[in-house]
Amino acid sequence: MAQKIVIDPITRIEGHLRIEARVEDGRVAEAWASSTMFRGFEIIMKGRDPREAWLMAQRI
Amino acid sequence: MHAAASVRSVENALGILIPDNARIIRNLIEGIQYVQDHVIHFYHLHALDWVDVTSALKADPAKTAQLAQSISDWPNSSPDYFRTIKEKLDAFVRSGQLGPFANGYWGHPAYRLPPEANLMAVAHYLEALDWQRDVIRAHAILGGKNPHPQTYLVGGMAIPVDPNSEVALNADKLALLKRLFTKALQFVQQVYIPDLLAVASFYKDEWASIGEGLGNFLAYGDYPDRAGNFFLPSGVILNRDLSQVHPMDHQKVAEYVTHSWFQYAEGDQTSKHPWNGETVPNYTGPKPPYEYLNTDEKYSWIKAPRYDDQPMEVGPLARMLVAYASGHKRVKELVDGVLKQLGAGPEALFSTLGRTAARGVETLVVAEQLNAWVDELAENMARGDLQVHNGEKWDPATWPKEAQGWGWHEAPRGALGHWVHIVDGKIANYQCVVPSTWNASPRDAKGRPGAYEAALVGTPVADPERPVEILRTIHSFDPCMACAVHVLDPHGREVTRILLNDWTCP
Repeated sequence: MAQKIVIDPITRIEGHLRIEARVEDGRVAEAWASSTMFRGFEIIMKGRDPREAWLMAQRI
Repeated sequence: MHAAASVRSVENALGILIPDNARIIRNLIEGIQYVQDHVIHFYHLHALDWVDVTSALKADPAKTAQLAQSISDWPNSSPDYFRTIKEKLDAFVRSGQLGPFANGYWGHPAYRLPPEANLMAVAHYLEALDWQRDVIRAHAILGGKNPHPQTYLVGGMAIPVDPNSEVALNADKLALLKRLFTKALQFVQQVYIPDLLAVASFYKDEWASIGEGLGNFLAYGDYPDRAGNFFLPSGVILNRDLSQVHPMDHQKVAEYVTHSWFQYAEGDQTSKHPWNGETVPNYTGPKPPYEYLNTDEKYSWIKAPRYDDQPMEVGPLARMLVAYASGHKRVKELVDGVLKQLGAGPEALFSTLGRTAARGVETLVVAEQLNAWVDELAENMARGDLQVHNGEKWDPATWPKEAQGWGWHEAPRGALGHWVHIVDGKIANYQCVVPSTWNASPRDAKGRPGAYEAALVGTPVADPERPVEILRTIHSFDPCMACAVHVLDPHGREVTRILLNDWTCP
């Protein structure tokens, strides 16, 4: 029997990660990794002074 | 550590060379970060996948002391010491306040350690908390604070080096750094590595052949010496072939968004080098709360980076394999030593346990190097070389109208790249491809999985309601989703939710 497992969020990591896995006969047959939050630092950087980019990038 | 990649991208765009002292200070900040980060990962983020905390309550403190003394000279190893730890743990459990030990799959049949090994690991979990707080004071000395050291600067570093100044990096501060780095190295040698080998010895029969993943490895290389050669080399390994290390060329990096919630102007089947990268969100997923994602379509906020159109694993395993295959003497010696001790061949490296062991080897290699870098800095100071910043191109009036650069750093979790396009003194485009973007990548236009997705295939799941085995493989990569998706807030650690449904394979 196939089952689909969802682990969301995975804990003891930094940030948010979701794993969906299809389990068949006690083993993972196929898996999908999804990040469930949007990234936007590239948008923040536009139009800024390149000399201050590192200060913002550091907070990623 | 994004600061390192960022300043390098701008320096690369503008052709700025940094002074030797700045090179050394960056190596020191980034090197001690590896040591602290990897130890935290092993004990506080990964160990509980292998260590059953509740089993430690059944341990005999005297036998635990015997075990600890048989594998290490670490002084905290008396029966009384382990009795105290056991009592502390017992008090946690009786109060119902498990604290950091809440939400584990305790008692799961996949746990293999005897109670004494579990108690020893719990003791070192607690010791590592104190240790990491102390050794990372090196960041306060070199960078003003931790996290986010404040002394990076395009063109060098913003921390003065001057033997005659109280407030600069002087002989006293270098001596303090050496004490901290020695303390860091001792813990790695006497606690982390022996614990890693002890845990591995109980799991190697199974977990040295699970979680192998893509078999393609990418390292940008880092820790330049004075001549510009990397202490940890760059290179690419394909299809687990350790007989050949291909040279790395950042121009071969490109990202797909076919299965990511972004869109490209030219359509979502193409891939784009980060200099031409676009960040245009396009969420097409289900409205929360939902049960499952539609993984045939877009299903992640992470893009799918590829190198020469191939998916890659990055991180300590990639770096150690590239170093090993490139003939790095110390890495080869240590990797061969670990394999010998575990009675395994090089193929065991391509596994969940191999990934976790590579991180330990790397920690030791870098921890051994830190004081040599402090000596280099002391030599420069003795010669009167106090320069930390090259300000020739600080003024934007000296810049070309348009410039492109790439900055790299081998962050603890793997190859990190920042690409910048500067027009008229401002950032016209900026793209980050971070380690967890590679490892947590979704499928690409050709349906090829990313590193986590590939590594999980074949992982046993003894109890679908408590999939500790999946956590072992995912945690072996040390995910940093905050980096991969670029959000500020790392909180929100609610209880892990497991959804279960009978599901028929299409």
